[in-house]
Formats: sequence, structure tokens, C-alpha cells
Amino acid sequence: MRVLTLASLAAVFALLVWASFDLPDRADPEAPGNARLSGDFVELTEHEIHIPNIVSAILADFRGYDTLGETFVVFTAALAVILTLHRNPRRKREEDDDEGGA
Amino acid sequence: MRETHGSVILHLVVRGFMVPLIVVFAIYVLIHGESSPGGGFQGGAILASAVILARLAHGGAQGERRLPTGALVWVASIGLGIYTGAGLLGMLFGGNFLDYSVIPLQWFNDFAAEDRTNRAMGIFIIEIGVFLGVAAVLVILYDYLTGAPEPADADPSPEGRDE
Repeated sequence: MRVLTLASLAAVFALLVWASFDLPDRADPEAPGNARLSGDFVELTEHEIHIPNIVSAILADFRGYDTLGETFVVFTAALAVILTLHRNPRRKREEDDDEGGA
Repeated sequence: MRETHGSVILHLVVRGFMVPLIVVFAIYVLIHGESSPGGGFQGGAILASAVILARLAHGGAQGERRLPTGALVWVASIGLGIYTGAGLLGMLFGGNFLDYSVIPLQWFNDFAAEDRTNRAMGIFIIEIGVFLGVAAVLVILYDYLTGAPEPADADPSPEGRDE
């Protein structure tokens, strides 16, 4: 069984390595991932927003909707922690009273 | 103002030096988010670290909490409200949701003698919202995951009155 697992893992690894040879160079400006939007972001940050930090411009302006969702996710995490871990002193006392009465 | 740990040095260093320094640095990271690495998430995390440091030095499990959970939830909600409100303002002035370029903010340039675009100022406004939200949420997570008990009289939230 372990041999089978290792063999299938090796096969998938070899497949991924083989597929990675078709990927374009990461810094290639002609690559499809870099060809369209990236240059627009750089130019629009320079010409329309006038701030030096392109990362901030993308995060808060071009992808502002995404960041809004992220902030709500963080807030939801806090609400979930509060709802699951909140200890109500009054309810605790009632439970103790119930146990004492039974 | 109750002293739960006896160490004067600890309190002097933490409250008199470390916490103010970290808060100032958090605001610096927030304000410089447009021109250098930084922004709302990073500044909020640094601000939360200041509050958590004060909690640690103050003995948060035993001592009083200056910032109860109810207030922290309010701060986080106000932060989210700033963000969402900035987005809705864009709609109110005839643009898309989260389109800061249509919000009339140019009076700030006249006031501060700056030359910033509307979108740059909109970015800063929502970074403030993210800053408040992230800082409050991280402190809430610290408070609950370390199991510090809620003070019985410091819970103004209505969720405890459901009997």
C-alpha cells in the first residue's frame, strides 16, 4: 500500500514538473498573466491616483471590493469566536442551580 | 488604576515607553501606507500588539480591562462602517460602489495645501476603516483565545438577556 502511495505521488510530481516546463517565465512581460492588467495597474496608479505605492492602489482602489470582503471575513472571525467562547456569568449560575436542584 | 503586578519597572517601561511608541508607529505605518510598504492591515496589527502588550503587562486575566469586548466590537464595527460608508458615498455621488473619484474631497487639498487625487484620499479613508477593524478584531481574538474572563459588570451587550 505504501509503495502504491509513493508511486502515485511520484507520478503526480513528475506530471507537475513536466507541465511546469510549459509555463512562461515568471518575469516575462509578454506572458499572458502579465500582458493585460499588470501594466494598466502600474500606469493608472501613476496617472490617476498619484501615489507611489502600487500595492496600496491595487489593494484599496482597483480591488477595493476584495479588500472590503477580506475585512468582513476578519470581523466575522471575531464574531464567531465571541459567539462560541462567550461565557455568560448569569447563565452559568443558572446551570449550577439546576445541577444543585437535581 | 488597580495594580495587579507589583513591578514598577514593568509598568513604567510598558505603559510609559513601549505602548505609546508602538501606537505612534502603528499610526505611522497607516499614514505611510500610500507611499511605502504599510497600510491598514499592517498598522492595525501593530496597534493590536500595543494593546496586547499592555494586557500582558497588566495581567489581563486577573486585572480589569480598560477596553471591554463591547467597546472593541463597536470599534471594529465603526471601522467596517467607514469602509462601507466610503463605498456608499461613491454611489451617492453618482459613481459605482467604492468609486472614490466622484466623492467631493478636494476641499481637503485647499485646507492642507496638498495636491492629492480623490482616489488617493479615498484609499486613505478606507485604510483607516481597515486599521480600526483589524486592530479591534485581533484584540478580541487575543482576549477570548487566552480565556480571560469577562468582567461581570462590563458586558453591555444584550445577548446575555435572553432568558
